Amino acid sequence: MLPKLKVSNLSCSRADNQLFDDLNFEVYPGQNIEIIGSNGSGKTTLLRILLGLIDIGDGEMEWLDNENNYNNFRSIDCFYQGHSLGIKNLLSAQENLRLSSYSFGVSEEKILSSLNRVGINNYSSFASEMSVGQKKRISIARWLLKDFGIYFIDEPFSALDDQASSLIVEIIKELNAKGASFVITGHRPSEIISNQITLDHEV
Amino acid sequence: MKSNIYNWFFLILRRDLLMAFRRSSTYITPLIFFLIVISFFPIALSPDQDFLRSLAPGVIWIAALLSSLLAIETIFSEDFRDGTLDEFFISNDPSFVLVFAKVLCHWLVTGFPILLASLISSLILYLPVSSLLPMICSLILGTFFMSLLGAIGAALSLGKSAILSAIIVLPFSIPTLLMGTAAVSSAIDYQDYSGFLLIMGAMLAIGVPGLCLLTVEAILLNYE
Repeated sequence: MLPKLKVSNLSCSRADNQLFDDLNFEVYPGQNIEIIGSNGSGKTTLLRILLGLIDIGDGEMEWLDNENNYNNFRSIDCFYQGHSLGIKNLLSAQENLRLSSYSFGVSEEKILSSLNRVGINNYSSFASEMSVGQKKRISIARWLLKDFGIYFIDEPFSALDDQASSLIVEIIKELNAKGASFVITGHRPSEIISNQITLDHEV
Repeated sequence: MKSNIYNWFFLILRRDLLMAFRRSSTYITPLIFFLIVISFFPIALSPDQDFLRSLAPGVIWIAALLSSLLAIETIFSEDFRDGTLDEFFISNDPSFVLVFAKVLCHWLVTGFPILLASLISSLILYLPVSSLLPMICSLILGTFFMSLLGAIGAALSLGKSAILSAIIVLPFSIPTLLMGTAAVSSAIDYQDYSGFLLIMGAMLAIGVPGLCLLTVEAILLNYE
């Protein structure tokens, strides 16, 4: 089984502060990577470098393409969720999914079933009327819209109750079984089975 | 299914227009501001028809520029704050399309109402009927160019003070102001105004690709 993403000798420094140095890891189908670190340790920066949102790191990233060759450009359908959830208060739960950038080619049935799966049944309620936990559930429902290759999720377990945390673990397991991989960040190891990378530089 | 550019463009436009119409202040504030500024001139200066007619091109254009600047900082700020902008930028679809869709949306919710209000303002300022066409044409070209300029200002001032984007944009709006005012003034004096409109059209034709690409780069600076 070939890794979907190979990261070699990745280093990054900001304002004379070495965030991480010589990182090497591979993301295999159905497997997870957890990036553990304190606030300011470079977890979000690492995710953004991996996705090409910023170009400040040294090192190499190789993505597996459809013909099993490795390229430097991202050829895998990826999902990214940052600290902020990407949920619009002026849209309903259903509209938030229908009008998200991940919704192309997704049917209404799929949108509703995704919302049901995360326990959101009030589809037409505006996000502004929902709690932070419910908004987080809507954001999790977006994971289910399509079969993404790799999910890059920044601190998915923050600000969640036990029930919602268990739901995330369940969904990650389900998606892992379909071959999807997760690269997630957090302050401490979560309950998901993963390879862990610790960013432990002094802040 | 792989998204194509048109789907991508219409998705952003549809989403932003829906949110803009649910937040009525987005389009009502520039409209009201424009009409208030216009109506101050007859009250403060003189109700004399000839005097107001001579002032009208400049007054309408200054009011239009300031009104269209009212909401520019909101072009990207909400998407930046809630993480939607990150999602758009990591997708493999061209970011240029995102910027153009957001500029068009901004123009539809600010520039278009100003166009309609300018017809009312022409009555207040006694503009002759013959100058309405050049006024509307110059406002279409000029306010859209202002939305493009505003997008750069908004991108450069993301996460910073809202007034900063207006300060960045205002100096670059002077050519638009001069051309727009000259077009309407020429029409009032029964002179040929087409040259001014052509220059504004050329500025817009260059501005759409050029300023959209610069805006993409300006947004990316915020991630560095």
